[in-house]
Amino acid sequence: MFELDQRIAEQLTEVALNSAVQVRCGNSNAFMVTASTMVPLMQMFEMGGVYISGSRSAIEMIEAFETIGIDVSHIQFIDLVSSGVLGGTDVDRPNIHFVDSPIMLESILLRTLYLLRTTANERNFIILDSVNSLAIYNEDRMLAEYLHTFINTFRQREVLSVIINVPDQTSPLVLSNLDLYCTDLIDRGQVVIH
Amino acid sequence: MQPAAVYTRDRCVTGIHGLDEILRGGIPYGSTVLASGTCGSGKTTVAMEFLVRGALAGEACAHFTATEPSVKLLENIRQFAFFDMNMVDTGLINVFDMDVLYSWLGLEKSSFDLDDVHALIKAIVDIVNTIGVTRLVIDSVTTLCYKIKSEQLIRDFLFTLGKKLSTLGCTTILVSEITSATENAHWSSFGVEEAIADGILVMGDVERMGHLLRFLQVVKMRGTSHSRAKHAIELTPIGVMLTPMLKWGAQSDKQGRWGA
Repeated sequence: MFELDQRIAEQLTEVALNSAVQVRCGNSNAFMVTASTMVPLMQMFEMGGVYISGSRSAIEMIEAFETIGIDVSHIQFIDLVSSGVLGGTDVDRPNIHFVDSPIMLESILLRTLYLLRTTANERNFIILDSVNSLAIYNEDRMLAEYLHTFINTFRQREVLSVIINVPDQTSPLVLSNLDLYCTDLIDRGQVVIH
Repeated sequence: MQPAAVYTRDRCVTGIHGLDEILRGGIPYGSTVLASGTCGSGKTTVAMEFLVRGALAGEACAHFTATEPSVKLLENIRQFAFFDMNMVDTGLINVFDMDVLYSWLGLEKSSFDLDDVHALIKAIVDIVNTIGVTRLVIDSVTTLCYKIKSEQLIRDFLFTLGKKLSTLGCTTILVSEITSATENAHWSSFGVEEAIADGILVMGDVERMGHLLRFLQVVKMRGTSHSRAKHAIELTPIGVMLTPMLKWGAQSDKQGRWGA
């Protein structure tokens, strides 16, 4: 039985609409933490949003959400993974959009802005999954600059940004910048089983 | 002490997301702007959106096409969610094939002399005047100028055309193709267009680890202050969208494709 972390929902009740929330997790609990963040935003706060899927393909994420009974059909997914796999973009879901590569940082931002401009929702969130997946392809200083732009772009537009991060695998430069720019922190670090 | 009042020229609001902000309100009315870029960089799309946004605001617009048939061009405009075929039916958007114009003027020849150039200018200006066009696109001026063999004649053509259109209050975009063969010209094919134009928008690609990222940069715009930064662009059904390009990512892996 999949259980959501209710403490995340409680913490989310404290954040403002234009907040930038850094959500720290570990490798083993990343999906549980992501789902525990997304569900209250969709169900409690009735928000729409965009999910930037850099860790796994969008279809894989959607199916994982559906497996635990979460309907994400009204959430738009930007898939950064599948274009790198021939045949990976051959999916029949209208809410999946593809960007060629995580290296195309500005394209990710513009595609997100496009989806927000075309959505009917009044209140929206962006989930960036994850800083670590972008770090595979982008230099630290470029990623730090991007996160600065990303957070400020959505704060200005009153869109809640949620940035998923596995901190023990994030470089000090990126981590310190995230700590500086984000307004809130939800820390659900790795669950270590001894 | 109060700061001195600054005179601001009236603007032609392009309606293109982000571009008016870069231009601090739009293109100064009556300007002739060169939209230069490599193939596939979005020149025609930017120019078409400029016209469709104008038509949406009730302005009469004209497009002279020398690179693709008007029928094909209109099919491509349909990608814009804000385009309505009524704009064409009601005469707000007017598309002219240059080949038809040449034929009409008896200019079906490989090169133009001074008289031909003047006849062409007169025909374009007459159309603009008759319809009351306030936004004009010539796509591409490069194709047209290939027929004008002398650099001085190209200069005269562009200068005279720009001056007459400006007098009529028409803001013009001249689409210019840049190829790797143009070693001595940074922003235009013949090198003279960039000196004559009031403004220059450069479009191209930044290559980043094997991926091409489109960019737009305003390198010149008389009559307004403006950003000169590179902006990444995306071509979407709701129009061209821009965002400042990351400073650490603005440099191509190789030299820029234009003028390279």
